[in-house]
Amino acid sequence: MKRIVAIVAILLVCAAAIASAADFPAKGKSITMILGTSAGGSTDVGARILAAALEKDLAATGNRIQVENKPGAGWQIGLTALARSKPDGYTIGFTILPQTITNYLDPERKAVFDRKSFQPLGMQVVDPGVIAVKASSPYKTLKDVLDAAKANPGKLKASATGILSDDHLAVLQLQKLTDTKFAIVQFDGSAKAMTALLGGHTDVYFGNIGDTFPQAKAGEVRVLCVMDDEESKFLPGKTSFSQGIKLESSSSRGLSAPVGTPKEIVDFLAGAIKKAIGDPEHTKKMEEQGLTVRYMDPARMEKYWSEMEEQIKPLMGIAKEK
Amino acid sequence: MDTFSSLMMGFSVALTPSNLLFAFAGSLFGTIVGILPGLGPAAGTALLIPLTFHLDPTGAIIMLAAIYYGSQYGGTITSVLMNVPGEAASAITCLDGYQMAKQGRAGAALSIAAIGSFIGGTVATAGLVVAAQPLTRVALRFGPVEFFALTVLGIVLVMGLAGKSMIKALIMAVFGLLIGMVGMDPTRGSPRFTFGLTELLDGVGFIPVIMGLFGVAEVFENLQEEGQQVIETTLSSLRPTAQDLKASGWAIGRGTVVGFLLGLVPGMTGTASSVLAYVAERKSSKYPEKFGTGVIEGVAGPETANNAHANAALIPLFTMGIPASPSVAVLMGAFMMNGLIPGPLLFKEHASVAWGVIASLYIGNVILLVLNLPLIPLWVKFLKIPYTILMTVVLAVMMVGAYTVSNTVFDIFVMLLFGVVGYVLRKLDFPLAPIVLTLIMGPPMEKSLRQSLEMSQGDFSILVASPIAATLLAISGIILVSPMLKYVWKRWMPQTQAQGV
Repeated sequence: MKRIVAIVAILLVCAAAIASAADFPAKGKSITMILGTSAGGSTDVGARILAAALEKDLAATGNRIQVENKPGAGWQIGLTALARSKPDGYTIGFTILPQTITNYLDPERKAVFDRKSFQPLGMQVVDPGVIAVKASSPYKTLKDVLDAAKANPGKLKASATGILSDDHLAVLQLQKLTDTKFAIVQFDGSAKAMTALLGGHTDVYFGNIGDTFPQAKAGEVRVLCVMDDEESKFLPGKTSFSQGIKLESSSSRGLSAPVGTPKEIVDFLAGAIKKAIGDPEHTKKMEEQGLTVRYMDPARMEKYWSEMEEQIKPLMGIAKEK
Repeated sequence: MDTFSSLMMGFSVALTPSNLLFAFAGSLFGTIVGILPGLGPAAGTALLIPLTFHLDPTGAIIMLAAIYYGSQYGGTITSVLMNVPGEAASAITCLDGYQMAKQGRAGAALSIAAIGSFIGGTVATAGLVVAAQPLTRVALRFGPVEFFALTVLGIVLVMGLAGKSMIKALIMAVFGLLIGMVGMDPTRGSPRFTFGLTELLDGVGFIPVIMGLFGVAEVFENLQEEGQQVIETTLSSLRPTAQDLKASGWAIGRGTVVGFLLGLVPGMTGTASSVLAYVAERKSSKYPEKFGTGVIEGVAGPETANNAHANAALIPLFTMGIPASPSVAVLMGAFMMNGLIPGPLLFKEHASVAWGVIASLYIGNVILLVLNLPLIPLWVKFLKIPYTILMTVVLAVMMVGAYTVSNTVFDIFVMLLFGVVGYVLRKLDFPLAPIVLTLIMGPPMEKSLRQSLEMSQGDFSILVASPIAATLLAISGIILVSPMLKYVWKRWMPQTQAQGV
């Protein structure tokens, strides 16, 4: 008898789980979107544009998307909150790369999550990395920069936006690929790194299309290379691959759910997100910000993530040694 | 675009109905912040930052800037009517302002203060307009090396303002530097003094610290005292006499110059400006012995100086991204939370925001002048609310404010902890300003030093290789060494001194 009760109980629990997955999303219940950065910045603006498009998709059930800013510790606070949230589909969040990866690969951070803690739902933005110099710089091509770096190891000053940022990892990757050495100078934020480049305090700027495009358009900086194999709509004809260097770097933003979220719910959310990102209004608003919308489905995003992780792993030791 | 057409473009932004409304709301709230003894401009501005998240950046900054300089107007009212400084920069105004109120001349004191504030604020804004573009070009020459030298000079200058005890000020400065060390190391990314708390990886937020040290501590202190008596005056005669105007003219002029110049120097606070302006008035007066008995120059000088200071302090912020005082640092935080980085690129990339805010400074000053005088009777009523109620409200609002800056309860605890720390330090007569100034200047100083060393791959000579940096460091050295030289001189030349006396 006891056993029967137990089986019935288990069945009931399973049924409840299936029922909740089938009912997803409950009418009028809001979905929390965790964002590990403060309100107002470019990532926040992008998240709110996506949230608005998602709400339009979910109009039938009237679900509100609540963007919750949990800034701090270079995304670690927000990511921890996302990893620890209930996997019922009502909490999703942004997992930006490479920050999420470096968060858990860095042992000093003692992160409580890793790649397996998150279920990718879809990629929104891939902002490729760029290498730029001041317009008046003697370096006209990437080759000029590399030749100069080879001739004077450790003398050319390259800016990055913080330890283990995508820019920092890109410099390290370039050094590794081309056997060069730069003096890496860390700035907090791309605006300060750009100011230092324009003031002639650094020689080479490592950044992303989103933060370099306004200056490039104004003719103040010369972009030497886009670290990507795909052509950029903003800066065409500059890919690193076309210049014979297989250097790939980007800062990307995708949505994930905590692992353990039922498959039906994941599929539902992934579909809604795909539709929201495909919304022309979403793309237009994102491009106004200089951001490259590049949708990836959950499986592609997972592959992208794990490939990036493999690329970063060997760089972790080099990045932290001084 | 030349300066004039930029400014006109700025006015077209600032004069839109919504931005006018923000300037008005900011001015009004700033006046209240200034009036309330428990709330200074730094804490008051910080409090309102979260409210601006949903506004567009221009409106948000216009409103927060108006709170910042509006509080300088409001502070006077409390000083004159209650003999309690509404905010620190108006403390010196108590000396003569309260005496004037006792003689029934509160109206004249407040009018002159408002007029002086208007002139000081407007002249300093004109300085900002003229200096902005040339200084932006100079600012690009400030790389990590030069920036390091500038922060060193800033910290050295803070020490020059130590007040009564140099040792106490130094202890507080080191305390501030230590708080600034908490968090990730800027170049290696290793956690320092975080005690395993993820919340501390970014360091201790300076906004909760400022709210604690200046806001909460002051509330504690105020609750301990009996409510101050508000002077009842007939405010019928708001208009100053011809003699008042004549006597104040020069004082306003001198106050403008003192406040403007000190406002440009990183590390100087509005209090330093107002105190210095008061001293200047007494020194240049034909009747210095009368100061402290209700002399109008004793109100006009300092009140003009603190407003000129407040507006001039925006020059290093806008052009170089250097916060010269705690309140300006909070304003800088507001820029950054809206995705704008103050500095040379601000005028290029966000010209309409930058010039819109500058134009709004003019408008705000006019609003404040108009707002201040007729509303004085209302402010008097405001000050009659029992302290126990007023302070409880202020404390509750501050808790909400500390939480909303980054949506974390942790910051409330930081604020309360620093409230207790601030209270104890006040009771022990330790100055609080050095903590905040080194907490603000310390991290950029460390960052720029380490950036410089990254640039030179560890060679320290880079710090003096740049002429700008070498000059700034030399000035800092002279300022540091001069008291020692004075001491040596006094010790070894007793005869010379005796003869001199």
